Amino acid sequence: MKRRMVCLSLVALVFVGAFSSIALGAVNWKQLQGTEIRFLMNKHPFTTFIEPKVPEFEKLTGIKVTIEAFPEDQYRNKRTIELNAGGKVDGYMIMPGQDDLHYWKAGWLQPMDGYNSDPTLTEADWNFKDFFPSFAKASSVDGKLIGIVINAETSLLAYRKDLFTKFKVKVPQTMKELEQTAKFFYGKEVDGKKMVGITLRGKGAAATSQWVDFLYSFGGSWTTPQGKSNFASSQSIAAFKFYGDLLRNYGPQGGTMLHWAESTSMFMEGKAAMIYDANVFKALYENPKESKVAGKVGYAVIPAGPAGRLPHVSNWSLSIGKTSTPERQKAAWLFIQWATNKNNSLGALLAGVPAGRASAWTSKEYKSKDDHPDWTSSTMKSFEIGQPQWNPPVINVPEIRDITGQVIVDAIEGKDVAASAKKAAELMDKKMER
Amino acid sequence: MPPLREQIPAPRVGTKTTVMKTAPSALSRFMDRHQALVYPAPAVIALFFIVIIPIAYNLYLTFTKWTIGLGQPRFIGLGNFIELFSDERVLNGVKVMVYFSGLSLSLELALGLLIAVYFNREFKGSEIVQAIYIFPFAATPVAVALIWRIMLNPEIGVMNYLLRSVGLPGSLWVSSPLTVIPALVMVDVWKWTPMITLIVLAGLKSLPHDPYEAARIDGANTFQIFWHITLPLIWPVLIAALMLRSLDNLKEFDMIYTITQGGPGISSETLYLYSYTVGFSFFKAGYGSALMVVVFLIVLAFNMVMNRIRLRAQDL
Repeated sequence: MKRRMVCLSLVALVFVGAFSSIALGAVNWKQLQGTEIRFLMNKHPFTTFIEPKVPEFEKLTGIKVTIEAFPEDQYRNKRTIELNAGGKVDGYMIMPGQDDLHYWKAGWLQPMDGYNSDPTLTEADWNFKDFFPSFAKASSVDGKLIGIVINAETSLLAYRKDLFTKFKVKVPQTMKELEQTAKFFYGKEVDGKKMVGITLRGKGAAATSQWVDFLYSFGGSWTTPQGKSNFASSQSIAAFKFYGDLLRNYGPQGGTMLHWAESTSMFMEGKAAMIYDANVFKALYENPKESKVAGKVGYAVIPAGPAGRLPHVSNWSLSIGKTSTPERQKAAWLFIQWATNKNNSLGALLAGVPAGRASAWTSKEYKSKDDHPDWTSSTMKSFEIGQPQWNPPVINVPEIRDITGQVIVDAIEGKDVAASAKKAAELMDKKMER
Repeated sequence: MPPLREQIPAPRVGTKTTVMKTAPSALSRFMDRHQALVYPAPAVIALFFIVIIPIAYNLYLTFTKWTIGLGQPRFIGLGNFIELFSDERVLNGVKVMVYFSGLSLSLELALGLLIAVYFNREFKGSEIVQAIYIFPFAATPVAVALIWRIMLNPEIGVMNYLLRSVGLPGSLWVSSPLTVIPALVMVDVWKWTPMITLIVLAGLKSLPHDPYEAARIDGANTFQIFWHITLPLIWPVLIAALMLRSLDNLKEFDMIYTITQGGPGISSETLYLYSYTVGFSFFKAGYGSALMVVVFLIVLAFNMVMNRIRLRAQDL
């Protein structure tokens, strides 16, 4: 049955392709008028952007949309508990790299290929091919599409352009230069404030998302080809040690308690010369109401380690709840399609949310309004070379991140990193679930 | 409005026939006969569903292995309890719990008592001072904790700013494994000492006057009066206050979670926090439930000991 559906869908797709001019606008947006759907969302800049626009969608379709948004930690808990309890969740935000295996195995993700290829449900000019292939791949499990990317993320090195010019310092191109630059700025007095060289996340599990770029760039990896933990390898240990030393020696005090909020605050207060964190935080750094460094920040791709420049890419996607009814699932698809159409993707990008659509980035409108071309070009470069596996390749991601975080904390505290990494590797081998 | 009396049925006295005429239905006769069962029934049924069933389910889960969402709970007998013994974080959790609770409870008790004794006298503006004093206790825990989290930040927090402005070196506060527990204890003491004070103050107000007068006539000084009269008399109240406070303190969650989430590393991760992480971050419901049961047993054991001490003190 499924195969027949796929075949039929493919045939339909060919027809749509062949007669795209006819198919354009073929979707009857009112087909599910009167349906009510509920979306669980993370309190994220994308949610802030799309929520006020929901009445537009409701007017277009006659579908009533309820959006419930929660701060990230609570959001993850609530979403899991509600889906497990079989609550009325028609759609939700998910970071596939964090939760997709767990959610897929639990049967909470509705494959979207059927909707995407149905010309009565999907406008031809919505054009799925416009989404970056690396992100589209990251939002798939077992070859099935499970989410449409709404926020394409990577990490960038942000630095104080003004200070780099003033002190004639070049943007670091290698890990060694990164350390030297951090050392150069550490303790320098600028505007009556003592600077730190760099600020990074150091709070255990939360730090793994940026640390993983150092892991890859130093030639390390989560697991060996045999599927065992690779933390005890010399490359992985070097990555732990470099990250910990960098933060302990040239970073803020109390590095082990720095989550992204604390780390970005340091940078925005003008107390750090550099920060390595998510590219989305440009919106924070450049907000003159909250940041003292707005307009003074430059952006670059991660410096090269022994294995090269290997940043990660991650994304937030919108997914459809499998426990919902077929009708509400279709309505959820219409909503997701509308929320990620060209217009809204461009709008989100202009609002500072890195869109998953290539056309948004290359559009004339974005280019003419782009105040930070170095951020755009670095982000594009990072997308190109980005590693989609930013989390351990397991079902129990939070547990393994927690184990990893403990080594990062030990490294920041200057403990014996090799011993800590070895212990973590053993524990990881015991705990990994696939 | 008709007189109320008309609506009230006549008392059930009289001949057999009148009883038959006004006979209550079988239901109301049943209710009359089983009042002790019937009237508390709604509350008991509600409690059964919201307390007994979840506890029973929790107990059942402790014998299972189950990641929320992945299949059904699988019975593994005492497997979870055996795992407890090889889990380093359990031992760490117990240590942190003992350190945090031991330090904070004793400080709160000592300070609460002293401040109560100080407040238990007439002085100008005592009511205003007392009202201001209970502020921390009245404030929302999470909101207060969020503010403390910012205040304790070693780089941009106000605490280090204040220390440095008077020439003292700053502290790492909750950012160092060495100072995190004392810093959290400081917040807990600030917030909860007023509660102990309030309870003890109520106790002090109800103490008899005679022993004090007798002691003063005999020439006892303030310290002697406090040590030999106030303290023994107030002892049962103090233990009761300790029990009340310990119920919350031993399973302190919101404050620690908001300020440190158990960090740095696991330096402030109490057993209760760890059980939350296992249950709601790792979604391992079986093992998380087993940890919760251990926390419950610790709280229960502590309170049984305290209750015994209290009863003994009352007997004296």
